[in-house]
Amino acid sequence: MALSRKALAPRASTTLDVIRQILGTLAARNQAEDVLTCVRQIPAREATFRPMPEWTRSDLREAYSAKGISQLYSHQAITAELVHLGKNVVVVTPTASGKTLCYNLPVLNEVLENPDTRALYLFPTKALAQDQLAELHDLGTRLDDRFGVFTYDGDTPSDARKAIRERGHIVLTNPDMLHAGILPHHTKWMRLFENLRYIVIDELHTYRGVFGSHLANVLRRLQRIARFYGSDPQFICCTATIANPGELASQLIEQEIEVVEENGAPSGEKLFVFYNPPMIDRNLGIRRSYVKEATRMTNELLARKLQTIVFANSRLQTEVILTYLQQRNQPKPGQAEPVRGYRGGYLPRERRDIEHGLREGRIRGVVTTSALELGIDIGSLDACVMAGYAGSIASTWQRAGRAGRRTGSSCAIFVASSAPLDQFIVQHPDYFFGSSPEHGHIQPDNLEILVNHLKCAAFELPLSPDEKFGGVDLPDLCERLAEAGFLHQSGNNWHWVQESYPADTISLRSVTSDNFIIIDITGGDAGKPEVIGEVDFTSALTTVHEKAIYIHQGQQYHVERLEFDHRKAYVKRVNVDYYTDAIRYTQVRVLEIAEELACPGPSAHAHGDVLVRSQVVGFKKIKFFTNENIGAGKLELPENEMHTTSFWVTLNHVLLQSLPFPLSDRQSGIFGLLHALASMATLLLMCDRADLGTAVGERMAGTGSEVEWQEFSSSGIEKEFFEPNLYVYDAYPGGIGFSEPLYQAYGELLVQTQELIEACPCENGCPSCVGPAGEKSERAKEVALAILAQLCSMELSVDRQ
Amino acid sequence: MSSNPVNHVADRFARLKALQRPASVAQTKMTAGTIESQCEAPSRTAGETGAERLATLLGATVSRTPHGEHLSLLSIHCEQAPCIADSDALHLLMPNAPEEVADSSQWLFLDTETTGLSGGTGTYPFLIGLSWWEGSRLKIEQLFMREFSEERSMLAAVAERLRERPVLVTFNGKSFDWPLLETRFRMVRDIATPPLRAHLDFLHPARNLWRPRLGSVKLSHLERHVLGWDRGEDMSSGDIPRIYLEFVRGGDAEPLVPVFMHNQMDLRGLAGLAGRILSIFGDQEKPLEDGLELYGLSRICERRGQAERARTTYEQSIGASLPVETDRAARAALAQLAKRDRDFDRACELWESLLGNSREGYEAYEQLAIYYEHEARNAHLALAITRSALAQLRCARQSAMINASQYRASKLEFEHRRLRLERKTQAMPPSLFSS
Repeated sequence: MALSRKALAPRASTTLDVIRQILGTLAARNQAEDVLTCVRQIPAREATFRPMPEWTRSDLREAYSAKGISQLYSHQAITAELVHLGKNVVVVTPTASGKTLCYNLPVLNEVLENPDTRALYLFPTKALAQDQLAELHDLGTRLDDRFGVFTYDGDTPSDARKAIRERGHIVLTNPDMLHAGILPHHTKWMRLFENLRYIVIDELHTYRGVFGSHLANVLRRLQRIARFYGSDPQFICCTATIANPGELASQLIEQEIEVVEENGAPSGEKLFVFYNPPMIDRNLGIRRSYVKEATRMTNELLARKLQTIVFANSRLQTEVILTYLQQRNQPKPGQAEPVRGYRGGYLPRERRDIEHGLREGRIRGVVTTSALELGIDIGSLDACVMAGYAGSIASTWQRAGRAGRRTGSSCAIFVASSAPLDQFIVQHPDYFFGSSPEHGHIQPDNLEILVNHLKCAAFELPLSPDEKFGGVDLPDLCERLAEAGFLHQSGNNWHWVQESYPADTISLRSVTSDNFIIIDITGGDAGKPEVIGEVDFTSALTTVHEKAIYIHQGQQYHVERLEFDHRKAYVKRVNVDYYTDAIRYTQVRVLEIAEELACPGPSAHAHGDVLVRSQVVGFKKIKFFTNENIGAGKLELPENEMHTTSFWVTLNHVLLQSLPFPLSDRQSGIFGLLHALASMATLLLMCDRADLGTAVGERMAGTGSEVEWQEFSSSGIEKEFFEPNLYVYDAYPGGIGFSEPLYQAYGELLVQTQELIEACPCENGCPSCVGPAGEKSERAKEVALAILAQLCSMELSVDRQ
Repeated sequence: MSSNPVNHVADRFARLKALQRPASVAQTKMTAGTIESQCEAPSRTAGETGAERLATLLGATVSRTPHGEHLSLLSIHCEQAPCIADSDALHLLMPNAPEEVADSSQWLFLDTETTGLSGGTGTYPFLIGLSWWEGSRLKIEQLFMREFSEERSMLAAVAERLRERPVLVTFNGKSFDWPLLETRFRMVRDIATPPLRAHLDFLHPARNLWRPRLGSVKLSHLERHVLGWDRGEDMSSGDIPRIYLEFVRGGDAEPLVPVFMHNQMDLRGLAGLAGRILSIFGDQEKPLEDGLELYGLSRICERRGQAERARTTYEQSIGASLPVETDRAARAALAQLAKRDRDFDRACELWESLLGNSREGYEAYEQLAIYYEHEARNAHLALAITRSALAQLRCARQSAMINASQYRASKLEFEHRRLRLERKTQAMPPSLFSS
């Protein structure tokens, strides 16, 4: 798409002027290329106001008007009114639309009317709860502290907990704490549960997939306990824009809910730019590094005094970009770093400091993962740079929304990586701007998840045979749990009969709740070891294995020792010119086939239960700036096992034999095909790429057992496949409901994959279609297309029948 | 404790002991040498359920309440005299105690055995041991739920006993047993949580008195080292939840017998320990001999505002032999008390004995400097003391006897004082003011 000079002509607003200057330079430098595939101006929107509801108490009205709020945006007023009428409500609120008032106004009004009223607010992270605490304290001060607001999470000191249970009118917590800290001790929270009127669920859209399925079960338990104490709380939910807010919310709370989709908040104008880094080798399909391009773009913005937030898609990229940016933006003498990193592994105090610095403008740039995608108050920034596609349309809008609040202009720049999804989006801006954002899917009756929460429920209150818990046959399930020694029936009810505390072993977010702590021992014996951060179990295997280079706040650390059993990694500060990238090996075994369709030709596709074993077996050292592979190492880390669901395609021996290519080309073609299939699957399912795992396994003809097969050894050893299975599995234990839809959409998946590969301008395959050519044979693209052609023709013949 | 104990344990209790040979040894020792006739354990009759078997083994009976039934086992023990709480002891134990507390016949000792140690609403007390003084005898009633459905009845019985004796006495009950029972009362709902007049938890005084000396303040440990009792081969309390849960799932009744024994021993140990603590708290005529116990007692007295008694016991503790650190802490505390009484002669003497490279040592330099400046009005002497503190700090730093942050903090403080005192002394020549 060529840009007209007019589109880049200066306008009145200064931020946009600056952006247009930068874009002009870029367009000039890369005239031959269509690097700017889209420059779209989103106009400013006027506010729609409504008066405060009549029932608002005068003291609350005064408190708000002292904060400068004397009338409401329309969605705030509608939501407050529905809550006042006793309805459950979910309100769709883009960034900076004043969502907290939607729930605070009706809740505080009721608390002030009747001081017995209690409310529970749930936020997906501790940081968001802290943020809300500040807002509510401010209102509290204006209302003579007539109500108590507290956060209750893992950081709450134990001597403060009792007071919170008794005196907290509003308790701000997170689903994990509710699950493991509050529900199992509900008798201590009697005051709260007896008077529980409102449950607020903020950032509802984050409760998708496995986390959402867990939350739905936690809410089943919460509602069960509320009933025990005779209360029937109302739900107030807020969500970013997703395709199905009402459906997701009602699946989560298992009640009817009103949806408010109107948005009365104003917004400033915004320039949305799609940037595709220029091609540097058309043969190999290699584009200039998007990480470096995003860094360069950010440097331009920072140089023009625009406060900028940069989103990267992994912790590693965050640190790499931060390193580049800090080299160019050194602090002035005696001043703090102007560019900082912000992600999950940083300690809370460090994060608070960064948030504060951003609001004050002391910090000019921040590089983050999705950690800052949610509504943490960091003030209004001028620009947002996204290094790589956020994975979903909804997330992209959320990220873009972090720049520019209610007034003034801002810009959002998406820098595409060479990943297939990125390339698809950057080349189809109309698809992006024209589609609705993703659906939130959950599977509350996923048996693994449900059974875990049923155990917790039995611990909390003996289960009665007349109860309902999700869509399962409760007496039957309890019977089975009794046989396994978890429950015991006595006087009709089932009681928990284990010494352990079930919630402790069940994490809502990942396979395991263990975190590794990272300890800096640079000082040696004389210095004091210092904890510099923590990392969750799954990431630990790939980021803090021995000899890894762990990067924290732009500083490199060499991992000296990993104490796996104690969950500790000991690191020393180093200064090297490379980073490390872990090599993971995955093996899949089919446990049970749910449905299988064998075509009357040489292939089959199926979905069902699988066991996925994965292990980090080695790592590569990669040089900064040139990305050369400068070495490798082997690792011996424990295996990780996961029972999940998968979709797979089996290629028959006959089909493979019919391909006019040698063995090594066929292998590359199979991996290339899987690469492309998985990319298109994320688009079809509207899910995150990280939600899906892929693996190639082999079914020996005539047997059900799998033979190990390691991708990274493919360059060395050649091995004949008999009947390879191409797996696309749900990357969560128990599965999250992607496999069946994928099985149903098989035909569409094949056609779209074929289109993706055919339309790709590269010659022999590139990261945007069948994966990088360098690591595979040169004919991967050709082979993949040949296999696809056969699969498609068979699929067509099936359709005709 | 009791000098000439008589044993009145019911004969079914003898049967019980016979079952548990190691425990019967312990029993013998705990009851100070009384020899019991041992009889054979009743053999199992056909068709007997686990719960019936347990009742037979223990000689327990089924108790009925308006809320159902549960198993109940009564026993009587006479090896100790009832606790006597005089007003001094009471004040140290619980200031402003309600008057019932002074009457130990109002006390109800309680110890529970549970299905887990992690707490939470899914943890059940399956055995609740209660105990009280009846005349000179200690009566123990153990309530047991044979099934989860019997919990209600068992709790009703606990509520009833607490109405009769509303002063609860426990060991670690404030953080474990009582919150757990409160949870259970809330869970069953139709039995109100019985109100307590007072709750005496002897863990806290025991910790103050004996942790410095013994390290561990586990009840069985205290019995052995403070009361001189020997439990013999007691079971490990970590096994208790598993034993009960196996029984409920249809396992044997036999392994539960030592659990009942263990619970009885805990209750008797608690009663014994309570008596010992009260006698230490009350008896001012017969002083303790162990320096560390004296030190612990002094700290309790000081915390309860009994400054005079604290001074006496601190003096006694430093007179006995104390480890170096404790001795310093005792001297420093005593000096503070002397200062509060404006007994500066004693205070200065103690401070001077403390001077040196330790936390108390630097505090002593500071206190002396304050004393000379503001009380003795001798700024020159105060300055000299401050200078020697700084010299001490430098010396400690050079020989790496003090860590960097402590050094910096103390140095800053003394430097401040030195500068101020130097200004002051320059304004007031010594010849005019020193005596």
